[in-house]
Amino acid sequence: MNRINPIHVAIALMVILLISVISLGSSKSKLTIVESEYKQTEKMASKIVGLKSAYGNKKEVKQSLKKILMLSQLRSAGIVQKVKKASISLSVESIDKNTLNVLMGKILNRAYNITAFKVKKLSENSVSFEMEIAW
Amino acid sequence: MFTKFNQKYKAMFDQKHKALFLDPNSPAVKVIDEKINIILSPSLYWVKKLSLPVKYTRDAKKLLPSIFEDSLPQGHYSYSVYKKGDDFFAFAYDDKVIIDTLKEKGIAFSDVASVYFAQSELFFMKGAFKINETQSIYVRDEIVVLLPCCWVEESGELNLDELSLSSHSIALAQFGHIVDNSSLYKIGAVVIALIILVLTEYFITSAKVDELTNLKEELFTKSKLQATMFQNEATLKKYEKVDTRQATLRAYIAMVLSFKLKPSESLVKMGFKNKVFSADFNLLSQQSIAGITKKLKSSKFKFKARSKNETWHLEMEL
Repeated sequence: MNRINPIHVAIALMVILLISVISLGSSKSKLTIVESEYKQTEKMASKIVGLKSAYGNKKEVKQSLKKILMLSQLRSAGIVQKVKKASISLSVESIDKNTLNVLMGKILNRAYNITAFKVKKLSENSVSFEMEIAW
Repeated sequence: MFTKFNQKYKAMFDQKHKALFLDPNSPAVKVIDEKINIILSPSLYWVKKLSLPVKYTRDAKKLLPSIFEDSLPQGHYSYSVYKKGDDFFAFAYDDKVIIDTLKEKGIAFSDVASVYFAQSELFFMKGAFKINETQSIYVRDEIVVLLPCCWVEESGELNLDELSLSSHSIALAQFGHIVDNSSLYKIGAVVIALIILVLTEYFITSAKVDELTNLKEELFTKSKLQATMFQNEATLKKYEKVDTRQATLRAYIAMVLSFKLKPSESLVKMGFKNKVFSADFNLLSQQSIAGITKKLKSSKFKFKARSKNETWHLEMEL
C-alpha cells in the first residue's frame, strides 16, 4: 500500500512556489532593466532625431538657406552659394551692413552648424562676408 | 459508478495476493517477500450496523463522526461505510494503531496490497474460529465479534486461503496522525492559489517584457537608429557637441556685438575658424579695453587678447 506522503506533496508544492517566486523575481528585474533601456533609448532617439534634423539634414539646410537668400533684402545682395559634399558656403565680396544684419540675424537664429565664417569691415557701410555651414 | 467498477476490479486483482489476519495478539509474521492482503481483527476497528435515513454510502459517510462520537476513546479516527441490503455497516479505525500493529508484526507498509475488515470478509462464518491463543472470532447478529476462547467449546482454525475478498477495502492514511486531511487540503489550496497568482504575475511580466522589447525594436526602425546603442551614443555625442559649440559661438558673437564702443573705436573683423572665434577692434582706448576685459571675465568665457599697432585682437576658443 503506497500512499503519497503529504510531506512530499507539501515539499513539492513549496519547491514549485519557490521556483515560481524566483522566476517572477527574475522576470521583474528583467522588466525593470528593459523599461529603463526603453526609456533611455526613447530619450536618446528623441534627441538624435531632433539634433539630426537640425544639423544633419542636408536637404533641410539647403532649402532653408535658399528661402533666406530669396528674401527681398538679400535677393539683390549678390551672395554666392557653393554646395560641397558635406557643406555649403556663402560669400559676398561687399555687402551693405544693414543687409549683413538681416543675413546674420536669419542664420544665427536657426540651428545651422557654422564651421567657419569671416566678416571684414571694408568701409563705414560695407563689409565682406564668408560663411561655411556643414551638415 | 467508476468507483464501484474500480473497487471490483481491485478486488479481483487483490485475489492474487495471500490474505493475512492481523490481530495485535497474534504472533509476528515470518519474513515475506510478496504483497499481501490484510484482514483486520475486530480489535482494530469499531463497527456499527445501522439503519440510516439516507440512500447512498457517501451521504452516510458524512454522518459517521457524529455516530461514533460518544463511543470512541480519544484518538484520530478514519471512517468507512458500506451498504448491505437496507442496512449500513459503519466502521471507525485508527490508522496509526493499524500501521503500528503491522510494524510490530514485521509487515512493511509497502508490502500491503489492500486492507479489509474482518466484518466485510468473514461475516458468513459458521461457528467460532481461533485467531490467537486466547481469542476467537464469532459472528453474532451479522457482526463479527471477538470472544475469549473459553467462551466457546470448539474453535476451528481460521483458513483464509480460499477466501474470496470483497470490494470493501480501505486505504490507510499513513500520515493522518501528523496532519489533519482537511487542514492539509486547505494549506495545499492556499499554496496552489499562491502558485497560480505568482505564475499569472510571471506571465503578465514576461508579456510586458516582450511588448517593451518589440516597442524598442519599432523605435529603432522608426527613428532610423543605428544597430547598436554604442553607435547611437557616439552619434548623439557628436550632435550634442555640435549643438553646444553652435550655442557657444552664438553667445560669443552676441557678447562681442554687445561691447559699447566710442565713436572713434570700431570692430573691423570677426571670424570663426578651426574652433577659434576671433574679433579685431581698431583704436580701442585703455578704458574700453579694461571695460571689455572686465565684461569678458564676468561672463566666465575663456579668452586671449593682444594689442598690435592700433588693433586689439581677441580670441576665444570653442
